[in-house]
Amino acid sequence: MIKRYFTLLLIVLISIRLSAQVWVVPAENDARKSPFAFDDASRKAGSEIYMTSCKSCHGEPGKNNAVPLVPPPPDMSSVRMQANSDGAMQYKITNGRGTMPSFKNTIATTDVWKVISFVRSFNDKYVQEVAAQAAGGASVANVNIKLNWLKEQNQIQATLSAPSKDKGILPVGGAEVKLFAKRYFGNLLVDEARNTDAAGVALFNFPKDLPGDSAGLVQLVVALSNEAFGDAKRDTTLAIGVPTYRPPLNEQRAMWNVVSKTPIWLLLAYTIAVFGAWGFIIYVFLQIRGIYRAGSEKNTESAE
Amino acid sequence: MASEVNTDFLHDKKLDSIAADILRPVGITQGFIVWMGFLGISLLACIYAYYIQFDKGLIVTGLRDYISWGMYIANFVFFVATSLVGMLISSVLGLIGFKWVKPIARIAEIIAVAFAAIAGLVIVSDMGRPERLPYVFMYGRIQSPIIWDVTVVTTYLVISTLLYFLPLIPDLAISKGRMGHTPKWLQKTYEILAVNWKHTPKQYQILLKAVRIMLILIIPTAFAIHTVTSWLFAVTLRPGWDSSIFGPYFLTGAFVAGSAAVVIMMYFVRTNYKLDKYLTEHHFDMMGKLLVLVSIVYLYFNINEYLVPGFKMKTAEAIHLKDLFVGDWAFMFWSVQLLGLVIPIILLLFKFFRKPLSMFVISIVVLIAAWFKRLIIVVPTQDHPFLPIQHVPKAWMVYQPTIVESAITIGTLLLVIIIITVLVKFFPVIPIWEMAEEQNEIDSKSKE
Repeated sequence: MIKRYFTLLLIVLISIRLSAQVWVVPAENDARKSPFAFDDASRKAGSEIYMTSCKSCHGEPGKNNAVPLVPPPPDMSSVRMQANSDGAMQYKITNGRGTMPSFKNTIATTDVWKVISFVRSFNDKYVQEVAAQAAGGASVANVNIKLNWLKEQNQIQATLSAPSKDKGILPVGGAEVKLFAKRYFGNLLVDEARNTDAAGVALFNFPKDLPGDSAGLVQLVVALSNEAFGDAKRDTTLAIGVPTYRPPLNEQRAMWNVVSKTPIWLLLAYTIAVFGAWGFIIYVFLQIRGIYRAGSEKNTESAE
Repeated sequence: MASEVNTDFLHDKKLDSIAADILRPVGITQGFIVWMGFLGISLLACIYAYYIQFDKGLIVTGLRDYISWGMYIANFVFFVATSLVGMLISSVLGLIGFKWVKPIARIAEIIAVAFAAIAGLVIVSDMGRPERLPYVFMYGRIQSPIIWDVTVVTTYLVISTLLYFLPLIPDLAISKGRMGHTPKWLQKTYEILAVNWKHTPKQYQILLKAVRIMLILIIPTAFAIHTVTSWLFAVTLRPGWDSSIFGPYFLTGAFVAGSAAVVIMMYFVRTNYKLDKYLTEHHFDMMGKLLVLVSIVYLYFNINEYLVPGFKMKTAEAIHLKDLFVGDWAFMFWSVQLLGLVIPIILLLFKFFRKPLSMFVISIVVLIAAWFKRLIIVVPTQDHPFLPIQHVPKAWMVYQPTIVESAITIGTLLLVIIIITVLVKFFPVIPIWEMAEEQNEIDSKSKE
């Protein structure tokens, strides 16, 4: 009985483990398609992003030189990798799982599609399906973003507009935009994603305590997060953050610093010990000279 | 060493017989040539091994990513440890006023000089790019215990050399005219090294003062040298090294190794040079008692070092300790503790075993165990890094010393033996003037 129970348990555990290996992508995401057709320009741009953000783990495509992690990062040219739909790839890159990090805030959505464009170049059999709305509509191209800092309210105002064929420049309403502050590692999402109103305006509340550099400067990026409207972003640098001065870690005297920044107490202890000991040693060497001289002195005592 | 010297012994006839006894083995003999020939040829083989390492790099050793400190560093710790006995015998015991250390003091200093001199070379043997040695001094940081170690080893070597040389000066002068059987160049060397010694009271006064300064100075220096060596390990967080008692643990261990080395050398000198009149059974008996004392102190530190973390068994420590107690290192660990510490202590408690021959045998076992003890301190800790590298070949994780590495290590030991042989063979190994002075004192007391 107990044996049976354990067998059952084992089967359950193994199946849980196996299911954990499968990376389930929601059907909605799985079906997504790139808003633009992959071409040489997108592949080239994707290649550059791949080399800086992906290669360190996945290795060079086709060379099977990925870092041996658990689970192993697949090679780009592998069947396993290419079996993903475009949408699945976009979902996985964006959200990450386990050792695969999320690039949600580091690589813009359109750039993610460019990376996928690059990845697909290692699959001869691949035929792209472009998203229907993007393939058809040209009205969303060339979205222009203007940034305004409403100082009193401490808000960032993004105004989106796009040229149209017959009516001149029109505001872009209903587009999702995100505001980021650039940090050392990736972009920090500020406030939430906003939809532009009919006037093409989105307002972001900016926090009062975001650290800037020593002058309070923060580099801001506003980007479209809905690829249906194409690829547009605007960055600007504003003195909007809290001025922050962080002394470099090697500024003060410390045990781990360079020799010119030795802690004073250590410098003194070492110097006193070395000079003390060698002072006596040199004194004793001088005594040997004293012995030699004493031997040359005429003295009666030893002659007795 | 007394503060004043009664130079009456210079006119005593006994000086002649003492000097004759001690100077008889000095000089080049057939046995010496054969022995040096043997050492020289063996050394050549070891130098060839070093040439291979110099040419190809440390890849010819068993050192890899996990264990980067192996036999060489264990050997370095052993050398520094053994050299410490110079301080214990001539300084600590001598300053307290034990008379029996007089004929042994120079033997202890020879061991100190030889081992300290080669310790630096041992470190160079562990360097993959030895031509970058000057960088240690050019770019060294005072914050680094390695620089403290370099400083203090150099200082200790100079002080030990002075403590060997200074008391030798009167002997060099006494030997004048009694060295007919030795080559001319040796007599000339004696004359130069004797720095115009005329046995004047003023010279004795200066000499005794200089020796006394060095005897006192060598105590903190010796403490520093081995404490700093222990800090090379103890300032890390690694299980097995991260210990607050590592300084005294190393220091007391050093006295065990050093005392054993002194006994071995005493035995060689006594039997080969027929100096049993000066290195008597009494001296072996006293050295036996000393060895028991330092061994018990070291055993006490061993119990502290292993019992306290063994009681708590913190995760990382537990892996390390299980490796030592019942794992891969268990055989070596228990052999070293039993043969090198527990059994010698028990045996040497009996006067029967404190005879020259049995002391000699026990000391050899103790000294060999002392070497392996250093290996146990240095290597097993590195078997289990806090952040193990993934998917590394087995050869990177398990330390397997190579023949080249072993030959280089043996080479450094040969160099020590060569230095000892040269010093013992070319200079009086027992202080003539101190023996004569003591004899004179005894005689004049018995006359009264």
